Amino acid sequence: MEKLFIGTAGWSYKDWIPSFYPQTQSSGFDWLEYYSQYFNVVEVNSSYYTYINQKIVDGWIKKVEDRNDFLFTIKLHQDFTHKKKFSGEQIQSVKLNLNKLNTESRLGGLLIQFPYSFVLNKENANHVKELIDIFAGYEKFIEVRHKSWFIQRFFDFLENNNSSLCTIDQPVIGEAVEFKPVKAGDNLYIRFHGRNTKAWKGSLRKFGKDQSYEEQSERYNYLYSPGELLEIEQKIKEVLDTVKKVFVILNNHPQGNAVANALELIHLLKERIKVNVPETTLKAYPRLSKISLN
Amino acid sequence: MDAFFVSVERILDPSLEGKPVIVGGDPHGRGVVAACSYEARRFGLHSAMPIRNAFRLCPQGIYLHGHGKEYGRFSRAVKRLLERYFPIVQQASIDEFYLDFTGCEKIYGEPAKFAEKLQNEIWDRFHLPSSIGIASNKTIAKIASDFKKPRGITFVPPGGEKDFLAPLPIEKIPGIGKATFPMLRSRGFSVVGDIAKASPDYLSALLGKFGTELWEKANGKGNDILVTEHERKSISKETTFDKDIISRTKIEEILFELVSKACQLLRNENWQTSTISIKLRYTDFVTLTRAKTIEPTDDDKVVFEVAKDLFEKSFTRRVGIRLIGIHLSKLNHYTEQCILFEDNDTIRKRMLRAVMKIRDKYGFDAIRIGKSETGSN
Repeated sequence: MEKLFIGTAGWSYKDWIPSFYPQTQSSGFDWLEYYSQYFNVVEVNSSYYTYINQKIVDGWIKKVEDRNDFLFTIKLHQDFTHKKKFSGEQIQSVKLNLNKLNTESRLGGLLIQFPYSFVLNKENANHVKELIDIFAGYEKFIEVRHKSWFIQRFFDFLENNNSSLCTIDQPVIGEAVEFKPVKAGDNLYIRFHGRNTKAWKGSLRKFGKDQSYEEQSERYNYLYSPGELLEIEQKIKEVLDTVKKVFVILNNHPQGNAVANALELIHLLKERIKVNVPETTLKAYPRLSKISLN
Repeated sequence: MDAFFVSVERILDPSLEGKPVIVGGDPHGRGVVAACSYEARRFGLHSAMPIRNAFRLCPQGIYLHGHGKEYGRFSRAVKRLLERYFPIVQQASIDEFYLDFTGCEKIYGEPAKFAEKLQNEIWDRFHLPSSIGIASNKTIAKIASDFKKPRGITFVPPGGEKDFLAPLPIEKIPGIGKATFPMLRSRGFSVVGDIAKASPDYLSALLGKFGTELWEKANGKGNDILVTEHERKSISKETTFDKDIISRTKIEEILFELVSKACQLLRNENWQTSTISIKLRYTDFVTLTRAKTIEPTDDDKVVFEVAKDLFEKSFTRRVGIRLIGIHLSKLNHYTEQCILFEDNDTIRKRMLRAVMKIRDKYGFDAIRIGKSETGSN
């Protein structure tokens, strides 16, 4: 069974043309179908902003039907994690989609992401517990960005509640955590947000204010260097044998950087296999020629 | 590693492949060549050459400032791989490693065959070309590793050391540099065999202790003990100015900056220094160093006072300065003692360690210590 699932956070970015998606697309061209030729997992981020209609989920499943091992991980709606205001109806809506994916063996798990400002205190701990209980039957990944959560008691709690800790790589500012995958739970879920310190700081200042797509994306605008990826490889390999599945999700999406880095990580983590790199990406990121099959 | 910095640059940008590439900065500046590709060497370029001279010889070359951090990352990754195979790995520089193969034949088979496997693995894993020398001691192994670059493997069997060395030009022996080379050449030494055949007493009279060492090296003798500790022997920081400086105040300011950076490195490693040296280079390239040994310290203020004193004693000519450097050596571990009553020194030590943590997190410029600060806490 496949252990390594490496992909990106979302697949629908216009600025991935032409660095991933081709400039000229035929009428039947489908982005997800194309994406699934190169990766075996995708993290669904639109579910964070909207409650997704089941028909759309059916469509996704159909588009990846040729890829046996392809999984979706679903990011939980912000009503649950950021606004802390949700109804039974909304819970049902999320669960319907999770169930659908689960029945089709396409569910990687549910990503529950909390903001940087979410520190460990009694109220927040109860909030985490409440969500974990609501989604008790599903594999869950908990993303906390504040240092205060990185204590053994919290890790043990996750382990005992069908959940795993989501490790993140982000610019290390203030009380943000440094990248170090920790085994807490059966699986490893790693998200790479890039290391664009300057833009990250700027976005913290603008948090909650209206921002354009470009402004919002800028903090993820970062391409990991080959040397940084070697360090990342080393750190992941230190815990690889202790877990069942590893999800590696690149969220440094602007311009397709996430695609290039995800392909590079496939090469590194899968013992240097040559990777199927699309021509478009090879052109935009010539350094990938060293790892490319073609 | 072969042309290591250039090889890393080619990973970052494959279009540099096959071209004369020089890492070292502005070709019109005053720096030196840190590394150059084999294509650049065909024009007579070599590392440590002033970059302006390099540009004169090879104006069509591609001159890069380099990616220091990235080189460090690749170096550490290579070292991690080597440590998987060898019980003892001594890192000699960012791109040179000594590996102790003693007893490894039983596991890995013939050294030369294993070297080929290792060389391939370094290439497959990192896309870095390397050369390997195998011999009974470090000196010969190093010379052998340089013997067939790039991507060479040279095995000097035990007992064959002298024969291997004899025909090589004398400058292949590490330690024979700008000063000793002309001296030896003018006395008729051209190949290593000439040194091996000479009397050790003659060489000792000529070059002192180094002369004896040289004779031993030329005769195939050398150290086979690898030092694995990651400990730094010294910390250096120096800077070459864009324009020569004559203002005493300005130079002191720069010296203070260098001291702060060196002391930050010192504290990062949990070290204290006992010997402080400064290096001055005048406009006319006259270079001098002055050193002083003191009680172990990691305090910017203490180090700066010594450095300033040394500078004042050395800066005796009314000529501009082109380079100034600070060198901290005789390093030992800093240990925080359990003290019931803290004196000012202890408080200051803790303060400096807090400064270090802030700088590690936010960068060197996040917090500055004033030059005129009195240390009264």
